Amino acid sequence: MRGNTVKSQTIHPKITEVLTETFKVPAAEILPESTMDSLEMDSLAVAEFAVIIKETLGVAADSEKLYKDATLTDISAFIDAAVGGEAAGSAVPVSNTR
Amino acid sequence: MNRPAIAVTGLGMITPAGHTTDTTWDGVCRGESFARTVPELHGCAVDFACTVSGIDLDEAVGGRTAFRMGRYVKFAVLAAREAVADAGLDPAHWDGARVAVVVGTSSGGSAGLTEQAVALERRGPEATSPSGILLTIPSMPAAEIAIQMKATGPSLAPCTACSSGVTALSVARDMLALGQCDIAIAGATESIVFPVAMTGFARSGAAALRDGDPARLCRPFAADRAGLVMGEGAAIMVLERAEDARARGAAPRALLAGTGATTDAHHPTSPHPSGAVAEAAVDAALADAGWRAEEVGHVNAHGTSTPLNDATEAALIGRAYPHRPPVTAPKGVLGHCMGAAGAIEAGLTVLTLQHGIVPPIANLDAPDPGFAIDCVTKAPREVSVRRAVSHSFGFGGQNAVIALQAP
Repeated sequence: MRGNTVKSQTIHPKITEVLTETFKVPAAEILPESTMDSLEMDSLAVAEFAVIIKETLGVAADSEKLYKDATLTDISAFIDAAVGGEAAGSAVPVSNTR
Repeated sequence: MNRPAIAVTGLGMITPAGHTTDTTWDGVCRGESFARTVPELHGCAVDFACTVSGIDLDEAVGGRTAFRMGRYVKFAVLAAREAVADAGLDPAHWDGARVAVVVGTSSGGSAGLTEQAVALERRGPEATSPSGILLTIPSMPAAEIAIQMKATGPSLAPCTACSSGVTALSVARDMLALGQCDIAIAGATESIVFPVAMTGFARSGAAALRDGDPARLCRPFAADRAGLVMGEGAAIMVLERAEDARARGAAPRALLAGTGATTDAHHPTSPHPSGAVAEAAVDAALADAGWRAEEVGHVNAHGTSTPLNDATEAALIGRAYPHRPPVTAPKGVLGHCMGAAGAIEAGLTVLTLQHGIVPPIANLDAPDPGFAIDCVTKAPREVSVRRAVSHSFGFGGQNAVIALQAP
């Protein structure tokens, strides 16, 4: 992550969307300092979260390394940097019909 | 063998007619089909079905876990919660080591498997779900119920096609009788309303093809019956030894008096035309219950609305129960809920015993003139019935019959 930028305290809207819609995490619990752990997202849930981020934003990440213990602010900064750093791959909508 | 009486102390259902036991019963008693065009089936030869609708399943199941469950697993979890609450039991306070979970399914997560196969083929391995295997395996309904309810006794998933539900209830009954558990959460679930399965059914010749309003298509025992209409859903019961239920002050909805199972060993989709082996399952269930055939006050038929099943079953009912007890066939209203059908129909049979009402067969004015059976049509019929049976005759010739009795 770029050290010379002030960390934004906002959460990337896709993170909030995925947490509330796919994982049904109550919106009130989704805070900048929350971690996947504090949101009771287990490793399987975090791995699924990573697939959805990859499929929708084109941002690939090792979920255990990058998402498991990071705050939502950290994850947002990572996603912003990855999306801004290069034209993200074509975003593919994820079917959610199961 | 002198076996303990087994009580049905809880019942939970989620079906095309409703998300609970009560709403399902009301819908079934109205006697009108829930079949409708399903947008996700656009372009399929059969683009209609009876589906569970009007509920956010993920919200109902709860956060952080629904994503790893196929639709069939969510149905089972919701029905199990209703059943356990209906039984007046609280998983926070029971001895989970004495609780068994026996939940059948026919096709399991074939819908999830297909979705993952498409993701792999089109977008590569990284697009597939880390939960992909969980979305497919048939034992996950039992496993997820066990996880949610801290039920650490034995759990399993019987798979006998359309009779899976009755097989599950029968296995659970045996486990209670043998003392392998004190409480059994048992039933079945199914959800295969997706293009691959629906196309397969259309090509198999068993499905009714579009001909006007889908809600008029499933007509069990009608002379112009044209095949089955797909359904989906789950039903789960809580079973206990009647003595244990009495000791904790629980009022049983019904008693599970007996079960019988046979296999046609004839053909994967066609029932044996003589119906003799299916009839042997009836005989076995009656013998298991210690009943004479003429004591049976109601038959909840398999009644798929296919030409062959209904002809074979009507003849069987005429022979096995010559006193002409009232017959219903819930698939007219609910469609064929496949692996879940036997559990749902056993649940409806319990409700017939409790309410003294036999629901009507949808879309039926009168049975095929060649059938010497008393079909309930047009309106619910009030009956005084203490003993009833439910038939399930699955693909593969897997027959199972359950005998239920008022407590």
